[in-house]
Amino acid sequence: MRPPVALASGQRIPAREIDPVTVTDFVRFAGAGGDFNPLHHDPEFARSAGFPGVLAMGQLHAGMLAAWLTDRVGVEHLREYEVRFVAPVFPGDTLRFTGEVVAVADDVADLTLTASRGDEPVIRATARVTCAASAVDASP
Amino acid sequence: MTADIVDEVAFDVERGKIAEFARATFAEDPVHTDPDAAHAAGFDAVPATATHVVVAGHHRDQRGFVDKLGLAFERVVVGSVKWTYLRPLRAGDSLRGARRVVDDVRKRGGALRVVTLETEYVDAAGQPAVRVTEVLIERGE
Repeated sequence: MRPPVALASGQRIPAREIDPVTVTDFVRFAGAGGDFNPLHHDPEFARSAGFPGVLAMGQLHAGMLAAWLTDRVGVEHLREYEVRFVAPVFPGDTLRFTGEVVAVADDVADLTLTASRGDEPVIRATARVTCAASAVDASP
Repeated sequence: MTADIVDEVAFDVERGKIAEFARATFAEDPVHTDPDAAHAAGFDAVPATATHVVVAGHHRDQRGFVDKLGLAFERVVVGSVKWTYLRPLRAGDSLRGARRVVDDVRKRGGALRVVTLETEYVDAAGQPAVRVTEVLIERGE
């Protein structure tokens, strides 16, 4: 296994933008993950359910947010990941992923993560990651 | 009504599916797609991305399990999902997972029904690898 990365309380994870998410992303994710709910590919069905059009499956941006984190900390060091879906995502939305280390104890870091569209969160998440002790304290 | 099994899945963690899922979620760590990078990082095969067990969707009848729970498909949303990792999944793993109801309550004076489901995925040796807890919310009519 790769050594865990050093994380310190208050540290921010460099942000990432998906600009924008597209229907093609939804279709690729449907094929990869097996979610063929017509809400995510059939505009008429989505409108009949009260939406303006197709919307992303929450697992698409939940997966993107997790991958953004594990690209930086290593998937083998992720212990827990929890997402709360707070708003739907539509084609053309630009998503921004941000995260901060809120606590470190015994080489385990707790992080809060957010996927947002503009100022509006679409996912609020937490993660617990095995880390190495940081030589320096939080740098803003 | 606790510990009722709503569905069961069994599937293999496959290298091609790992790569597909990694691309679909914009994962950039080459360990998920390049066996040499995976070996250099200490894995015996390419590791799956963190939310890979979502691919169980290919092996499930999503509408069927919602019906089985007595939920109205068009009024159900997923409120939250939690993954607990006991070890990384790798290409070549064989997983089995039974999804169970662990909580089923009414909230907001009965306007919402909140169903919590837990799936523990075990490997070929019967050892748990990852646990997934999903909270479904059914809005009132």
